[in-house]
Amino acid sequence: MHESPIINLAGQEIDLSIVLMLIVTCAIVFLIARLATRNLSVENPGKMQNFLEWVVEFVQGLISSTMDLKKGKPFLSLGMTLIMFIFVGNMLGLPFSIVTEYHDASKAHIFGHELVTVTEKLHTEEAAHPGEEAEIGVAWWKSPTADPAVALGLAGLIFVMVHFLGLTRNTKGYLKHYFQPFWFFFPINLIEQFSKLLTHGMRLFGNIFAGEVLISVLVQLGSSGPIGTVASIPFLVIWQGFSIFVGSIQAFVFTILTFVYISQAIDTHEEH
Amino acid sequence: MSFSIPSLVLALIAFLILYFLLNKYAFGPLFSVMEKRRELVLQQINEASQTREQAVAYVEEQKQALQDARKEAYDIIEQSRQTSSKQTEQLLEQAKAEAARIKEEAVRDIQSEKNKAVEALRSELGSASVKIASKLLEKEVSSDAAQEELVDQYLKEVGGRS
Repeated sequence: MHESPIINLAGQEIDLSIVLMLIVTCAIVFLIARLATRNLSVENPGKMQNFLEWVVEFVQGLISSTMDLKKGKPFLSLGMTLIMFIFVGNMLGLPFSIVTEYHDASKAHIFGHELVTVTEKLHTEEAAHPGEEAEIGVAWWKSPTADPAVALGLAGLIFVMVHFLGLTRNTKGYLKHYFQPFWFFFPINLIEQFSKLLTHGMRLFGNIFAGEVLISVLVQLGSSGPIGTVASIPFLVIWQGFSIFVGSIQAFVFTILTFVYISQAIDTHEEH
Repeated sequence: MSFSIPSLVLALIAFLILYFLLNKYAFGPLFSVMEKRRELVLQQINEASQTREQAVAYVEEQKQALQDARKEAYDIIEQSRQTSSKQTEQLLEQAKAEAARIKEEAVRDIQSEKNKAVEALRSELGSASVKIASKLLEKEVSSDAAQEELVDQYLKEVGGRS
């Protein structure tokens, strides 16, 4: 498996590939949105505008399937950003990857900073097999959502927002629901909330990460020899297609779960 | 693969920046345009229903007008028919009167003509008989009184017949 390019910056370990991919993802999403809204027209929308309006209506459908559309209207922008960001992020890791390889610990630097993971790994390899030349690959291009920190960060944002909304908009119902159906269910309800956070983020991360792992494994199979190359191509085709499907589904699932959690928190009914 | 808090924070920052940028530069305008379109469609639907109502009212009005016009035309025809028949009668009456007048006049003319002719004939006959008498008198009457009496008698007879 390839390493992450991590550098030490002001005492923090910064993953440069995550920085790069976050910037690329945000740029692509913003570019798409800007292109679509460049020549806005009420009566004669262009192709891109139609596409983005379709996305808007899709997200509106998600909202209205989980809660009252009037209540959910303020979250439309959030849902749009989420689904576009996650979808683009999921797709980015599929077509190709950029890997740099290092053999010498003294050369593993970028912008004057040491690539911590590479040097560490090289040292341990040398210690384990002295005399052999170690080779460490660093992956620069991958899905940002294939990183647990990013996926959990998004899930955490939703988690904080959901509980803030519950506390401010639906204080009584929100607090009450921790002690239902009986007061001693409180620990279970608490665990449920945190398990929601974990599953929300980890589901996204796991699906995308697994897809990329299998793609890199297939690519390694392809580079192993002529037979491997021939064998890996159909598998790659199938798995790439399936990954596109999984990426779309995960973007959809993440967004609709966000709305489900929001609706549960701001719902004033006494049903659950 | 490791879980690093800085990555999490970076992802959050990136996502929030993206959210605000999109909200301001892309979604805000897009939503307002979609809202405008919704209002436009609503307004057009209202306008269409209004126009339809107007059209229905107009058609009703036209029907009424057509009905009125038809009635009027019927009235006019009826009236003219009545007028014409009256006129015909009048004309016939006039013609009859005229004919009667002309006939009467003709009869009167004939009568007067006849009278004139009789008068003329009588005078002619008178003079002619005088001439005849005078001729006869020149030869015989002067001598014979009996014959003079005969001529007088004859003249009387002629005069009395007319």
